[in-house]
Amino acid sequence: MNAPVRNTNVQLMNGNHAVAWGVRLLSPDVAPLYPITPQTPILEKLIDFQSQDVLSTRLLTPESEHSAMAGAIAASATGARVFTATSSQGLLLMHELLHYAAGARLPIVMFNVNRTPAAPWGFWPDQIDSLSQRDTGWIQLYTETPQESLDTTIQAFRIAEACEMPVMVNHDAFYVSHAVEPVEIPDQEMVQNFAKKPDRSLWLETGSIRSIGTPIGQAGWNETRREMDVAMQRVVGLTEEAGRVWGEQTGRHYGPLDFYRTDDAEVVFVTMGSMAGTAREAVDTLRRNGVAAGLIRVRLFRPLPISGLRAALAKIPTAIVLDRNYSPGLGGVLHQELKAELYGMENAPRMHGMLAGVGGVNVPPETLEKLVIDYKDAEQSQSPIWVD
Amino acid sequence: MLEIVILGRGGQGAQTAGNQLAQALFAQGLQVQTFATYGGARRGTPVMSSLRADKDPIRLRCNITAANAMLCFDDSLLNEGFLSQGADDALVVVNSARPASDLASLGNRRIITVDGRDIARRNNMGKVVNSALLGAFVAALGQPDIETMCKIIETTAPAKISENIAACREAYGLATGQLEGAL
Repeated sequence: MNAPVRNTNVQLMNGNHAVAWGVRLLSPDVAPLYPITPQTPILEKLIDFQSQDVLSTRLLTPESEHSAMAGAIAASATGARVFTATSSQGLLLMHELLHYAAGARLPIVMFNVNRTPAAPWGFWPDQIDSLSQRDTGWIQLYTETPQESLDTTIQAFRIAEACEMPVMVNHDAFYVSHAVEPVEIPDQEMVQNFAKKPDRSLWLETGSIRSIGTPIGQAGWNETRREMDVAMQRVVGLTEEAGRVWGEQTGRHYGPLDFYRTDDAEVVFVTMGSMAGTAREAVDTLRRNGVAAGLIRVRLFRPLPISGLRAALAKIPTAIVLDRNYSPGLGGVLHQELKAELYGMENAPRMHGMLAGVGGVNVPPETLEKLVIDYKDAEQSQSPIWVD
Repeated sequence: MLEIVILGRGGQGAQTAGNQLAQALFAQGLQVQTFATYGGARRGTPVMSSLRADKDPIRLRCNITAANAMLCFDDSLLNEGFLSQGADDALVVVNSARPASDLASLGNRRIITVDGRDIARRNNMGKVVNSALLGAFVAALGQPDIETMCKIIETTAPAKISENIAACREAYGLATGQLEGAL
């Protein structure tokens, strides 16, 4: 998956431009967008495509991210296929409408570039912006490479529309968003066949009297959450299916979880996003030195693929969770989620929660290798550990 | 793996230079990864561009901490903080009117200076130094070849294409001379 196929459709581009290419190939109906570092190159590239007349999407540029999401909701409610993109403060400004979009069952696809929220002001890779939105009802995927960001933008539409839930795809600031790499551009006809727009169960149109999101009684509201629960239970399977079919078409296979050298592993890293790339190098070095290390990359964070994680981790004595985020008073969000999901499991691994790379600080492979040496035989850590 | 760090000020073209260098190395069959890091996108603030090139796809997603080669767009940025990101014997190309011997206190590093401003001015490029600096840098690095570098500049320079290429070639020649003089 990490080795882009070398063919005539390979171009050097950064992760944000790869996202814009994914949007171009699919040409959704509407994209309300507001710029914010380090998301801006997505917007710039889409406008560039529009000026070249190769993007039929209607681009809207309202006065804030809140209005961008309001526009996305309104457009999606009419049955339009909608894309938007943001980062950090922009995502946080959208917060109340993220709940609205999910509750209204609107299959909007949003790309978020993970960046530190203020204060203090910063522009650095950190996933707390999107992780703090985990309870809004959006499906969340995290990518490792520009190629995966292009591929996942397209897969996200198929997943969102199949279960009528919004999808947020995330990649890390700079290490992915601004990393220029070889990216294979898939065939447009293949993409459009892959993500054919299905009929929606409810949409608004002139000439017929319908409404979305009107006041409702307690039992009715409760029922909407039960229906969302049913939809969320389909997402692991839908993500598997989308990744498998995409793999058949492109040679690049994806799933809810990504396993690297885990078959006989005695210690694994568990992480999300760009740090997985560095962890692969650490795993290879450790293996050369006789340590049976591996990596589980969580690509689908919400909903968390519980049974897949349980099955994978049951065989492994030690898990080192790398969180590039910090929830004050709690620790790393992925670590906390994993502890909850594995609670009561026989042969659960000893788990160590590492706050690695919070605020975008550098995490080289040597740091990860040392964590394995220091913690692989240690008793389970009770508190999160700040990694230097 | 070849690891390169380019440091400049916002608006000088360090990020563009990193991208052009990556395209030239890619055109010669290498896998590449280049990324810029900066704070607010403002003119004048330091901008760093990092570049990795290897025969295999690049998987690392962390900073470069022991660069083989470094390109500095402004000698006022040439401090220990920047230099500490290079290997002890790193090749360092600096945009400076001063001779390399003035910068000899930089340990075992191989220092080459190039007066990018002067070359840019002579080639009707005003203060835009990135093509000149790329010419000097590829001469010092020994790759990519100058023809490939110029071809990439030709297809990616936003304006003044022939001037950009002339500046690149002139700096390439001057740096080659400086390297031969040092042998």
